[in-house]
Amino acid sequence: MEDMVHVERAMSTQQDIKIKANTVQVYYGENHAIKDVDVEIADKTVTAFIGPSGCGKSTFLRCINRMNDTIDICRVEGDILIDGEDIYHPNVDPVQLRAKVGMVFQKPNPFPKSIYDNVAYGPKIHGLARNKAELDEIVEKSLRKAALWDEVKDRLDAAGTGMSGGQQQRLCIARAIATQPEVLLMDEPCSALDPIATAQVEELIDELRQSFSVVIVTHSMQQAARVSQKTAFFHLGNLVEFDDTDKIFTNPQDPRTESYISGRIG
Amino acid sequence: MSNLLIVIIVFGLGAIGFLIGRNRAMASGEGDMRNLHSLPFYYGANVGFSTMIPAIGVLALWLIAQPFAINNAVSGMLSADNIEAAGSRSLVMSDVRRVSEGLDAAVTQGVLARDEASEIAFDTTDVRALLASVGVALGSEVSADTLRAAQRYRVMANRGNLLKTIAVIAAALAGLAMSYRATTKDFRARNVVERGVLMLLICAASIAVLTTLGIILSLIFNTIEFFRLYAASEFFLGLRWNPSFSGRGGGSELGILPLLWGTLYISFVALLVAVPLGLFAAIYLSEYASKRVRSVAKPLLEILAGIPTIVYGLFALLTVGPLLVDVFGNDGLLGVGWMSGGTAVMTAGLVMGIMLIPFVSSLSDDIINAVPQAMRDGSYGLGATQSETVRQVILPAALPGIVGAILLAASRAIGETMIVVLGAGAAARLSLNPFEAMTTVTAKIVSQLTGDSDFASPEALVAFALGITLFVITLGLNIFALYIVRKYREQYD
Repeated sequence: MEDMVHVERAMSTQQDIKIKANTVQVYYGENHAIKDVDVEIADKTVTAFIGPSGCGKSTFLRCINRMNDTIDICRVEGDILIDGEDIYHPNVDPVQLRAKVGMVFQKPNPFPKSIYDNVAYGPKIHGLARNKAELDEIVEKSLRKAALWDEVKDRLDAAGTGMSGGQQQRLCIARAIATQPEVLLMDEPCSALDPIATAQVEELIDELRQSFSVVIVTHSMQQAARVSQKTAFFHLGNLVEFDDTDKIFTNPQDPRTESYISGRIG
Repeated sequence: MSNLLIVIIVFGLGAIGFLIGRNRAMASGEGDMRNLHSLPFYYGANVGFSTMIPAIGVLALWLIAQPFAINNAVSGMLSADNIEAAGSRSLVMSDVRRVSEGLDAAVTQGVLARDEASEIAFDTTDVRALLASVGVALGSEVSADTLRAAQRYRVMANRGNLLKTIAVIAAALAGLAMSYRATTKDFRARNVVERGVLMLLICAASIAVLTTLGIILSLIFNTIEFFRLYAASEFFLGLRWNPSFSGRGGGSELGILPLLWGTLYISFVALLVAVPLGLFAAIYLSEYASKRVRSVAKPLLEILAGIPTIVYGLFALLTVGPLLVDVFGNDGLLGVGWMSGGTAVMTAGLVMGIMLIPFVSSLSDDIINAVPQAMRDGSYGLGATQSETVRQVILPAALPGIVGAILLAASRAIGETMIVVLGAGAAARLSLNPFEAMTTVTAKIVSQLTGDSDFASPEALVAFALGITLFVITLGLNIFALYIVRKYREQYD
């Protein structure tokens, strides 16, 4: 016990806390979808949310960039702080917030535009480039970061929707990092991809950790084990356990976590 | 026997066929439905339809063919003098038919005995007086020729009717017998009925297509007739529309350009009103409005589409026209004096634009709603505002459909008549001033065909040439719309 406290303290001093959630509750109409979730997500780490379907992990993820605002019946209580600032404070503009907290969705959703325009979309609406040359540079940098540049550099004018599923998902990642976010949320980014594309995206996630705090929701426990440093296990709207990934998978503290990991529930 | 009676008999036979076919199937399956290939209903339906459909087909063919055959046989009997006196063969033939009907009436009323009708001769009987006494009035004295032709006509028609009855009922009975014999427990009645349903659907579809073809053909023949009387180059390139209706003939100037200009100008103004308003309404309804507002506002907007166009015309004539004169007229608010009367391109265009709003908005709304939510999520997730998302993601994705909606509205605008008749005036004019009265192709078609018109004169036949020009334009517009939709779909899917 003494040791654990010591280790935790060591971690939190070593890595800054990027996102901090205090007693977060989410309701969809009458349905209480997220109950009392407290979590601290470190900067420059990959944090995985795992749990059975309908456990609330995606809902919680969407709270972090206020995407739930677009759903009429959704209500969020409690505090979520990013860099110590409450993102649900009335003074916070959700549009600005989403520029800072990028999101990649389950199904690749490139816009019906060229590859270039897809990546340039965010920088353009936020005015990140003063001229065409700067914009070109941002697009190239983002595509390189997303490990897509070599595949598409000769056909930037081609439609983004004409690429393969894995390329489309990497395009969506490039699109998200082009706005220079601080946090990248990924909602099951590999569930629509084949194993090879999945491996590419996972490799990419590991590299993105250098620059961002990455939060990934996944159904695949192997994926969580491969890419993440911290893992949170959700069950029926509760955050059951949150710890280092190694610990969760080798020595879970909660019987429910153990049941899920060994395949008895979920 | 009357046609109605024949049809009733055929339907009766069909109903009987249904019952006995079903019973035979049940009997061959030893009273257990599970032994049959199909449900008993299908066996009955098979026999019923096999009875009715060929019989009705025979009846329809007979009804088309018999008048032709008799007319041909009888009109050969008419002498050339007779035809010349009446003016045309068809006029004499209608006399013949009338006399023959009269003879029929005389027989049924007992004025003439059955044999007498075919025996009375021209020199012994005053046919006109005789027929007048049974209530059939004739325009002129009946000539010997006509009477003989009428008697012949009557005999042939009676014989034809008898044969028709026999043929139809024989066809029904033959169908009944054949399908009844085929009804055994292994007969695949369900598949046969399925094929019958397919034929029915094909018939329904082809009637629509054939009607279109018929309309086009009738337009084409009359148009060819028109171009025989009036030079095509003057019609397509003439700058003046000035038909003379005095009956003196000639002297008409029938250039389509002023009318086409009016049509396009008014449609342009209408689209200028309808496209932005309709599109913005659609965007509001699909992207911004709450569910409650949407459920009220959308039907309300669509009410506009249900208003008869004549009511819009009245609105243009009585409200919008005077209002525009108050603003743009000589003593108007602006004092510019552009507008001298209430009827003008602007009046008709504005009102037509309002009429077209629901066409644009309703279709665009459906199309915008069909853009996947993932597109919106992707855009919002990058920190775009709602209007940025609409402008840069949703509208481009929905563009092909929206263009389709706009072109559909344009077709409507070009074909619109009532609003133009009441709102735009009747003066064919080539002018750029939107506050002047102008007229359109459709409005002139109406005015050329209403009233006393002689269908052999170019002044009346021009309507068909106008109609087909309009048809070609809207067809071209629709093809263009399809092309645009296809082109963009390739790019965006």
